[in-house]
Amino acid sequence: MIELTRLCKRFGKRGEICAVAEVSFCAPAGQITGLLGPNGAGKTTLLRMLSTLLVPDSGHARIAGFDIVADRQQVRRHIGVLSDARGLYPRLSAVENIAYFGSLYGLTNRALDERIALLLETLDMRALAHRKTEGFSQGERMKVAIARALIHDPPVILLDEPTNGLDVMSVRLLRGFLRALRDQGKCLIFSSHVMSEVATLCDTIMVLNHGHLIAQGTADDFRGKTAQTSLEDAFFALLEDDEQKRSAA
Amino acid sequence: MSSLFSWRRAATVLRKECLDAFRDRRTLLMLLLPPLLVGPLFLMLIFNLIATQSERAQTLTLAVQGSAHAPALIAFLERQQVTLKPLSDDYENQIRRGHIDIALIIPEDFPDDVAAGRAASVQLVYDRSRDRSQVIIAQVEHLLAAHGREWGRMRLLLRGIAPEVAAPLKIQATNLATPQQSGALLLSLVAFYALFATLTGGMAVALDAGAGERERQSLQPLLITPAQPFELVTGKWAAAAIVNTLVVALTLAGFYLTLRFAPLPAVGMPFLFGLAEVGRFSIALLPIALLLPALHFFVGIRGRSVREAQASTSVLLLLFALLPIAQMLLQQREPDWIAAVPVAGHYTLLTHALRGDALSNTDIVWAYLVPLALLLLVLIAAAQRLNREARL
Repeated sequence: MIELTRLCKRFGKRGEICAVAEVSFCAPAGQITGLLGPNGAGKTTLLRMLSTLLVPDSGHARIAGFDIVADRQQVRRHIGVLSDARGLYPRLSAVENIAYFGSLYGLTNRALDERIALLLETLDMRALAHRKTEGFSQGERMKVAIARALIHDPPVILLDEPTNGLDVMSVRLLRGFLRALRDQGKCLIFSSHVMSEVATLCDTIMVLNHGHLIAQGTADDFRGKTAQTSLEDAFFALLEDDEQKRSAA
Repeated sequence: MSSLFSWRRAATVLRKECLDAFRDRRTLLMLLLPPLLVGPLFLMLIFNLIATQSERAQTLTLAVQGSAHAPALIAFLERQQVTLKPLSDDYENQIRRGHIDIALIIPEDFPDDVAAGRAASVQLVYDRSRDRSQVIIAQVEHLLAAHGREWGRMRLLLRGIAPEVAAPLKIQATNLATPQQSGALLLSLVAFYALFATLTGGMAVALDAGAGERERQSLQPLLITPAQPFELVTGKWAAAAIVNTLVVALTLAGFYLTLRFAPLPAVGMPFLFGLAEVGRFSIALLPIALLLPALHFFVGIRGRSVREAQASTSVLLLLFALLPIAQMLLQQREPDWIAAVPVAGHYTLLTHALRGDALSNTDIVWAYLVPLALLLLVLIAAAQRLNREARL
């Protein structure tokens, strides 16, 4: 569903900062693919390229069969993005916030109403529906932001550190919701710097460090590969190993 | 830029921004109430000023000391319908406080000087810094000079000399200013106020839709939707332009209704702000009402926060507001190319409208051509800015 081929992005005046270096992987539908890496590993840059907000320097990526540069408009119709920018319009109600985005995706009256009703139901937010979002709690904001991102029922869902700033209750609710989406056959990419977060939720884990994809596999694969029993130790051992190779080279 | 401009999406953005703007009751009230109240209040003050001035001019009261010394002068003043009253001793204080506008003092040696054929002196005491006394001072000076001339003519006649010998120059003045034009001079302030409303009316909405969107972190999700930056910019600009036009319309309505229905004091000057003037004002202000929100929006999205945006737009506003003031102060015949300068040209059009002149067609063409071209450029620049924004 998402295919990356040697995707690269550099920043800085002379391109001296390499944010994403020749990353290739494939994220199939019906799975949650985790992007794991320390802060600054290139997770956000990678997701921004997939969200069509950044143009890669080289390499390419296809989402639902559309190229992220050439078919940008088509890609946008096929992705739902939940980034850390989750601003809502405080003077509009939850439903109005969601409906605005629905209209921009071309949904009209009946289809829009039905889709909103379904999202309100699944996210258990009917009580919030017609309240102005000013004064919403973090968890309530997150629900509105998710509903807004998924209003057009996209087959591909990109989540950039979605659990940041959420309490345990909201995190549990989010996990349940994401699993349900996976079971519907959606393709999800979930980025986080928290190992346990990724391990509980993701089917496949991509480990990024300094813009490079240094490992991929399931949580069990990593435990086996690094001969560590704790996931966190496994993650740490992977990063250590990469740092050593890097300084040697 | 794969798909073309979608009017439907631009309209969606416009609808949302309008809903958002009209939800913000407090800001909206602050925007819409002043035009309806301040304009009329301001007009009332101007009219009262004019009314008291003309009232004073009509019933001229003069405080006189030593009226017994110059019976002929007193008789002349009485013939001219001047109300005379005795002068109290602390007249200087009374003049300073504004209780008396002007005092006439006839000294004791006045009759002796007259008898000896010398120039006899009288003394006038007034405070010229007091605006409302100006008219009266001028009138009294004029009356005394007239009396002096009449007296001189009689003396010449008694000596058998034609009065024309002493008055070789005769001045005949024709004032071409219609009463409406004299009023326009004072009410150029009305033009300034209307223009100022046009400069500021859409600012709050434009800033909220631009810099506010980024500050709330709702801009990035918006840029991931299929909506093109130019559609977003157009919709947001249109919402701010609608609010701006509404503020301007209310300002003009405030002026019109005050002059039409409010119990204003009767002023000798028939100042017209009828439907024709409202129409001419609307024609002159529309291009600016459309351009300014786009400028506010563009300047706004360059700032990192609403606060920064407000700082930059206030510089922009100051610049524009200074133009009419400079024109007012320079008091020069304006060059023809001023018609093509946004804001300055429009202020000139407004003053023409206030003078009761019809607006020239070439001036109107310039007044629309330049702002609309600029508007398109600013919208394109703003869209490009949003496009880059996404890539940051």
